[in-house]
Amino acid sequence: MKFNTSSKFRFINPSIVRRSSVLSRILLLAPAAFALAFAQPARGDEPPPEPPPSDAKGAKEKEADDHQHEDATVTVRGRVPAPSRGASDFNLRVGELSRVPRQNAADLLKLAPGILLTNKGGDGHAEQVFLRGFDAREGQDIEFTAGGVPINEAGNLHGNGYADLHFIIPELVEGLRVIEGPFDPRQGNFAVAGSAAYDLGLTRRGLTAKYTHGSFATRRMLLLWGPTRESTHTFAGAELFDTDGFGQNRGAKRGSAMGQYEGRLGRNGSWRIGAQAYTSQYKSAGVVRADDVASERIGFYDTYDRRQGGDSSRYSVWGDIETKSGDTLLKQQLFFIMRDMRLRENFTGFLLDVQQAQQNPHVQRGDLLDLHVDSQTLGARGSARWRTKALDQTQELELGYFARADRTASSQHRIDQSGAPYLTETDLDSRLGNIGIYGDAGLRPFSWLTFRGGARGDIFTYDVLDACAQRSVRKPSAANPPGDQSCLSQQDDPATGGVRYREPHDRRGTASIAVMPRGSVLIGPFTGFTASVSLGKGIRSIDPVYINQDLPTPFANVEAGELGVSYARGVGDVELMARSIFFQTHVDRDLIFSETAGRATLANGTTRTGWVGAVRATGPWFDQAANVTFVRSTFDDTHLLVPYVPDVVVRSDTAIHHELPFRADGEKLTGALASGITYVGRRALPFGQRSDEIFTVDASASVAWRMFEVALVATNLLDRRYRLSEFNYASDFRTAQQPTLVPGRHFAAGAPRGLFLTLTATLGGT
Amino acid sequence: MAKLTTRVVALAVALAGAASACTGTTGSEIVSFEAFASGPADLPPDTATRGLSFTNGSGWSITLTRARLHIGAVYLNRSAPISGGQERQCFLPGIYVAQVTTGMDVDALSPALQRFPAPGSGTADHAVTGEVWLTGGRIDEPEDRRTIADVAGTATRGGESMRFEGTVTIGTNRKNRDVDPARPGAKPLCAERIVSPIATSITPTNGGALVVRVDPRAWFANVDLGELEPVSSESDLRRIPDEAEPPAADNLYRGLRGATGVYRFEWID
Repeated sequence: MKFNTSSKFRFINPSIVRRSSVLSRILLLAPAAFALAFAQPARGDEPPPEPPPSDAKGAKEKEADDHQHEDATVTVRGRVPAPSRGASDFNLRVGELSRVPRQNAADLLKLAPGILLTNKGGDGHAEQVFLRGFDAREGQDIEFTAGGVPINEAGNLHGNGYADLHFIIPELVEGLRVIEGPFDPRQGNFAVAGSAAYDLGLTRRGLTAKYTHGSFATRRMLLLWGPTRESTHTFAGAELFDTDGFGQNRGAKRGSAMGQYEGRLGRNGSWRIGAQAYTSQYKSAGVVRADDVASERIGFYDTYDRRQGGDSSRYSVWGDIETKSGDTLLKQQLFFIMRDMRLRENFTGFLLDVQQAQQNPHVQRGDLLDLHVDSQTLGARGSARWRTKALDQTQELELGYFARADRTASSQHRIDQSGAPYLTETDLDSRLGNIGIYGDAGLRPFSWLTFRGGARGDIFTYDVLDACAQRSVRKPSAANPPGDQSCLSQQDDPATGGVRYREPHDRRGTASIAVMPRGSVLIGPFTGFTASVSLGKGIRSIDPVYINQDLPTPFANVEAGELGVSYARGVGDVELMARSIFFQTHVDRDLIFSETAGRATLANGTTRTGWVGAVRATGPWFDQAANVTFVRSTFDDTHLLVPYVPDVVVRSDTAIHHELPFRADGEKLTGALASGITYVGRRALPFGQRSDEIFTVDASASVAWRMFEVALVATNLLDRRYRLSEFNYASDFRTAQQPTLVPGRHFAAGAPRGLFLTLTATLGGT
Repeated sequence: MAKLTTRVVALAVALAGAASACTGTTGSEIVSFEAFASGPADLPPDTATRGLSFTNGSGWSITLTRARLHIGAVYLNRSAPISGGQERQCFLPGIYVAQVTTGMDVDALSPALQRFPAPGSGTADHAVTGEVWLTGGRIDEPEDRRTIADVAGTATRGGESMRFEGTVTIGTNRKNRDVDPARPGAKPLCAERIVSPIATSITPTNGGALVVRVDPRAWFANVDLGELEPVSSESDLRRIPDEAEPPAADNLYRGLRGATGVYRFEWID
């Protein structure tokens, strides 16, 4: 059976072609101007930024799509890509840069400018993402999707929007679209700093087996299958991973499987159905105090509490169809996700278990928190994109929706030294709803001028059952003293001055609607240059723990603007792309990580201003990408720096590949070298401190012959001892005679040099 | 046009913002400092050998020949407790601006600065109160046999004279016996070991020094030594019991824990 997933349709409406007039141009410009008028930039009237696609190839494809072939037949394979939103819309083709060493799918984000990934929680803990001056935590400020299926977890107690990307097998990522900013009406909840959409696919067809063995007793086994007669979007893959980790208490085990089938729907459409399973268990070293390391009370790679770690699992199914009816492209997707995670962390040692009057006398029992989240998500998204011809140009209008329902059970307990829970801090059962609708127009009055934009509206509903709503009383009942109970069944009675009975739970519900205008203006291309201006508003829904009955949901609103120029051209057989972007973003209610709470907590408004530069050059035997980001992030009220976010990030990805002057059995060998270089400037820390710099070099070398390939990968090649995350806060790990109660430096160690050998064999491939 | 001008200005601000990346601060500062303790600054240098003479509130003329105090830790706070506030919490994370966490024995009869074994640390924030922790072990341990105070001397009142000595520990002997079953944790033992709030006004700076002055005269302010029994019928030595009875013993303990007049914080730049 053969499926050719290519289909052909014309995105034109002949009846509207060539009806150019001044009036029609005005009519077309009016809604765009209206949309832009509402798309105010950060903090009032300040400038915004710019233009188009990401890599040179993508740029050229888009350029062709946008400006040259409106009347031409368009060949569509799989999903039709969304139009560019400006200079900060990065369509990242992985290509040969897949040879650059990467630990997981999250590492692919580094192909986009300004990204720093850290992880203090262990191998199965979601990466903390820093982007354009945002501490996006584990996803709270970036909307993540894989194949269109959302990854952010609404209502996750550890961080609303927590996004664990470890279930994605990196070899199954065909491309990545990163929009740095809320400029596309399709972007939904959590798109505060931007969005990242993983496009799943397998270009290496056939049956591939890969085995990796290396430092820290790391083993990885991977099987990939891409039937040669199917599209790249039909694939299956499974991996098993096991490591002891570096230093102490960083072992991890995980397994992941993903599969998708893409079929053809009539003459003009396609459909996909997929499933995914992922489970892991991991240990975590957490953080260590710098003064303890300096005095050799603990080692650089050691841990205070070996009970830290977690479990994580994710199972999901999805299906989508894409077809054309007349001039309209229709898309529809359904998904269902089951997610479970447990997290044990201790950032503060023995600090927080303060004696309460109602409690029996006790010593500090330890701050290890045991967090559990169990959630199910059911959702759908769909759109209709209508294309027509006017003013000799292609004009577009898309209307779409997004809907998801989340049922989330979250709890957080504190655990004593014997392993028994002694305190319930949170026990929530939440039902969260989110329905969003949007309209997105692409209007082109001239071949060199494009208005893209529209508006999005989202409703968020909350129904939260707090099973531990009553936690303290001023005058406890002497007849029925609460003792050490966390969730009380009595409350103060102002009428009698005593207490009265109540159930410990409380139910709270609320709903709010947010409207977000977004738009971009693209001017060009002129000899490869395209300028763009983008403005937009985004939101992040708030953690259910902050919900109060009938009070408006306190959204975090973001207003962003940018101004940019991009250049995309072929020079000989080299495809070249470059961009320069100035941006500013304002968030009215930011989230800042609280070590004592073990999660992000509400803070004041913040503003980020910065510049991004990115280049990529792809030739027949090389691929080079490099980017640099400068940003300044400050609080609105004090104008002090926002802690933890990096203000300088530089990244370079390089791959060189060529045939070697050797033959074996008459067949030429091919070789490849690749490197990934990261530099992160000294980050601002609380109390006027600065972190250390981060400078790492990862490299790989590989040789391929026929169906076999052997690769040697070195991570942190220079074996620099560096601090991946640094914090300033109070903790007491009992390394001093008496409690350490003032803020001190803590850090999570970055990995030392690791060497890994990978053997790959592909059978029956193309 | 005005809007365009505004946006051009905003772009210039953006450019300036980008250029100024890597500068600025999050506020405040982490500091480290030396820490010392001593007796009152107004004592003659040879007080430790000659003894410290004074008359207390009960009319006893006392000459202290030994007055040693074990300080477990010292903390400075950015906030003061609410007057007439709720029950005592031993410590409240988030209010501390300076700490000295390695304890030492202080000769309270010597005005010379006695250095704590390890320097202190903190933040450059203003402190309005301080705490002296009188503990040998962890603050919340149920038992602590460490001698916190060790005193000896002579006393006369009218025609009565005596030698006296005593030690003070803060363990189960100081445990509150009158427990409200509804609030069994309202008066924790750890609170007995913390002298607070000691009024002060200090903003720690890098390279400075914190000095804790201890005045042993205030320990005896309300101690009626006449309540003590001789250790034997032939001896003039009277020993102050390490418990809540008689009142003289309890008053010595209370004097030791006085938040005013007993301890004073000084900052030396």
